[in-house]
Amino acid sequence: MVLQDLGRRINAAVTDLTRSPTLDEKAFDGMIKTISNALAEADVNIKLVANLRKTIKSAVKFHELPAHANKKRIIQKAVFDALVDIVNPHQKEYVPKKGKSNVIMFVGLQGAGKTTTCTKLARWYQARGFKTCLVCADTFRAGAFDQLKQNATKAKIPYYGSLTQTDPVVVARDGVEKFKKERFEIIIVDTSGRHHQEDALFAEMVEIQSAVQPHQTIMVLDASIGQAAEAQSRAFKETADFGAIIITKTDGAAAGGGAISAVAATHTPIVFIGTGEHLLELERFNPQSFVSKLLGMGDIQGLAEH
Amino acid sequence: GSGLLNTATSRLTSLFRNVVGGKTLSKSDLQQPLQQMQTHLLEKNVAREAAERLCQSVEINLLDQKTADFTSIDATIRDSMTKALTRMLTPTSSLDLLRDVSSTTSGPGARPYVISIVGVNGVGKSTNLSKIAFFLLQNRFRVLVVAGDTFRCGAVEQLRVHVRNLSALSQREGVGKVELFEKGYGKDAATVARDAVAFATNRDGHAQVQGQGMLYDVVLIDTAGRRHNDTRLMSSLTKFGQLANPDKVFMVGEALVGTDSVAQARNFAKEFVDTKGKLRNNGVGMDGFIISKCDTVGDMVGTLVSMVHATGIPVVFLGVGQHYGDLRGLNVGWAVDKLMK
Ligand SMILES: Nc1nc2c(ncn2[C@@H]2O[C@H](COP(=O)(O)OP(=O)(O)OP(=O)(O)O)[C@@H](O)[C@H]2O)c(=O)[nH]1
Ligand SMILES: Nc1nc2c(ncn2[C@@H]2O[C@H](COP(=O)(O)OP(=O)(O)OP(=O)(O)O)[C@@H](O)[C@H]2O)c(=O)[nH]1
Ligand SMILES: [Mg+2]
Ligand SMILES: [Mg+2]
Repeated sequence: MVLQDLGRRINAAVTDLTRSPTLDEKAFDGMIKTISNALAEADVNIKLVANLRKTIKSAVKFHELPAHANKKRIIQKAVFDALVDIVNPHQKEYVPKKGKSNVIMFVGLQGAGKTTTCTKLARWYQARGFKTCLVCADTFRAGAFDQLKQNATKAKIPYYGSLTQTDPVVVARDGVEKFKKERFEIIIVDTSGRHHQEDALFAEMVEIQSAVQPHQTIMVLDASIGQAAEAQSRAFKETADFGAIIITKTDGAAAGGGAISAVAATHTPIVFIGTGEHLLELERFNPQSFVSKLLGMGDIQGLAEH
Repeated sequence: GSGLLNTATSRLTSLFRNVVGGKTLSKSDLQQPLQQMQTHLLEKNVAREAAERLCQSVEINLLDQKTADFTSIDATIRDSMTKALTRMLTPTSSLDLLRDVSSTTSGPGARPYVISIVGVNGVGKSTNLSKIAFFLLQNRFRVLVVAGDTFRCGAVEQLRVHVRNLSALSQREGVGKVELFEKGYGKDAATVARDAVAFATNRDGHAQVQGQGMLYDVVLIDTAGRRHNDTRLMSSLTKFGQLANPDKVFMVGEALVGTDSVAQARNFAKEFVDTKGKLRNNGVGMDGFIISKCDTVGDMVGTLVSMVHATGIPVVFLGVGQHYGDLRGLNVGWAVDKLMK
């Protein structure tokens, strides 16, 4: 699971501190340093780590704490809140409505897991009674349509794509129009991988977006992404204004801090996480239960409700 | 203590500090600037483990040394770090792939040269394999591309499209020849790979080509992406390595990946043991890294440092785009410049 090792280390740092006989400011600073190191090792953006450190310090105000204060609880809560704040974007995700066409467009870097996740999400909605379909607007990558077709066939989901049309804008528009006419409720559009350094690819994304007018654009991020996460996700946000993030490959060993940094940089909620290569390996995401699981702080679960 | 997370401002002011020259460097002189150097490397996407090791080697190198005239501690550290990075990234023996292929495929005992490509999911294995095929075709070799990813949807068709494109290109230019060897989905990859090598060798003298020598110069084997923490899929690499018996095993790592690069490199390398349990390639397991998607990270090319640090295995190619020509050899100076910028 993502961030599991990180959680263990943060939890251990907090526990070590609160158990130590001399809970003084030096020990408190030491704990913050340990947590910062753990976050940096988990690929959390280095500047974000610096901010987090300041936030925890000013939330605890160690030297102002009265002697009888429950220091352990105050420190745990400050750490917990700071972490929840990173993954909690204070923004609501789009909720598809039955009886109308909801268009969802996927964007992201090359190889992040868009095509795989498109089908997983389609199946997820289909299982919840939506009439669901897939459109392959990746005309660039070799075998992209075959990949989507084989995935969709396994999941028994109708799909649209073209082996001859090379303009992804045309394929996307045609596919979405066709499925809207046929009164599909969830229409998921897969697109090619791209990165902000290549202007033409970003321009193409904008064109596809204005052709299909998605109700929601989702950015897919690989859990193993490192320090490039922030710049890339910011650029995608500015250009495509995505409203949700899905983190894939959380079954890997990566801590996932880069993807978490993307959430912080774009104030966008993580809505699902991918947990494997297979169709059913997709889970809903909830920031607070995630952080409490991450911290292994069953005993302070109550803190989240404040 | 402060250290790890000093801001850009404090780094800037430190540039104007300590412009002395002729100063003997103590541990405490070095501590803060080295912390800043470490933060700098982390921002370049170098894994902490590798950044720490590099900073330690700089410390050992500079401790009790005198700074040169008019040279600040920071400039001295930069210079020493540049050397440490250059040393780490420069391969001990250089790989000349084309010469290697030529000598294997000619003369008595000629046989096809076998390369396999491995790595985690989605890093660019199939694409960079196609780029290598293009490079070999340009050098007039006959290439057999093997669809050893028998798992991921569309993997076989992806390679078929690449082979079709490459074949059209090579026919137009009158160089090389390329074909696809595939057995569809669900088959055991190690067996497919072994059969492909036998086919390229023409070992059994296939009916229509009886009596001819080998049919291809290079066999390029694609494999399915796998998580390095999936013990079942990882251990199947061992059998794959033994049956396909490649001349070169190249691992693709993507420039986008963060700290996980260290464990990726280590865990892949350790699967490549021979039947006696000895690691291939003089005990390091694999022969080189291909660092893909370098065009997507700007100056943050730290992944290549992390992977070399983890294993001592050199970087042989960089992927710098999505087209067949977007493959480069590693220019150490170029990489070090980016890292020190
Ligand atoms: N282990 C694991 N692998 C995944 C997951 N999601 C996707 N993958 C794998 O990641 C690789 C890339 O996935 P794709 O869906 O092709 O990625 P993409 O973003 O569509 O790639 P491009 O279209 O080339 O940009 C494939 O091998 C997938 O099987 C996941 O949650 N866990
Ligand atoms: N920008 C850029 N994209 C690349 C590079 N190399 C590969 N890609 C892209 O990365 C995506 C994934 O590439 P693949 O070759 O399918 O990756 P893979 O490792 O074979 O994936 P799986 O077989 O699913 O594990 C594709 O969209 C490629 O075009 C590169 O050097 N630069
Ligand atoms: Mg795709
Ligand atoms: Mg592949």
